[in-house]
Amino acid sequence: MENCKEFVTLIATNCYMVSDEARKQIDVIKYRWPIGSFLYLTASMLDIQLSVYMCARFQSNPRELHNKTEKRILMYLKGTINVGLWHPCNSKINLNGFLDFDFASCKLDWKIISGICHLLGSSFISWNNTKQICVYCNWGIVVLKLYG
Amino acid sequence: MVNVPLYCDNTSAINLTKNPIQHFKYKNIEIRHNFIKDYVLKGDCEIKFVKIKNHMVDLFTKPLTHDRFNKLRTDLGILDMKNVI
Repeated sequence: MENCKEFVTLIATNCYMVSDEARKQIDVIKYRWPIGSFLYLTASMLDIQLSVYMCARFQSNPRELHNKTEKRILMYLKGTINVGLWHPCNSKINLNGFLDFDFASCKLDWKIISGICHLLGSSFISWNNTKQICVYCNWGIVVLKLYG
Repeated sequence: MVNVPLYCDNTSAINLTKNPIQHFKYKNIEIRHNFIKDYVLKGDCEIKFVKIKNHMVDLFTKPLTHDRFNKLRTDLGILDMKNVI
């Protein structure tokens, strides 16, 4: 992997993470090992969070598609060694929250993936990315629950 | 911290918090899910609409193209050291 090329994005926009049963199974331990390291990285590198969580869902039965996505994260990290969070000292102290949810984003079980982030002035302080716990019949409940 | 703005791109969800009387069909929602309305009434937070192109949290919910990914990353304050110094 040392001489691999660098990628500028993490996942292709048309890439859907499915169970991919038809393709060859790969070694579980080899697949899990980088994910453990990625999870530590998500504490400071929030941009890889979505794709790491997507890969982490298939740890019990990884296939070639998942392995490819995982390798792409490594390629992305290679190109972004100098990239990090920047907190400017002269920004105003005003709290802003952003909230979004993607309907049926997870193609495996058609659940919603929601994201929340908070900015204090122009510095980024907290973020969260969650998959829906259980499916509701009423869309209104989903919206209100995600606000909480 | 009064009236902390929470930005969301779903207008129907925003209207639901502003005027619950107009939306009587949502009365089957459990009370514990309605607590955000109480906070809006108290004035602790305020839910505002944001256009999809300025919505920063897209980074966490969907795969994006290169241009948009880079723009959102810069907006969130994740910068390349070479450009800063």
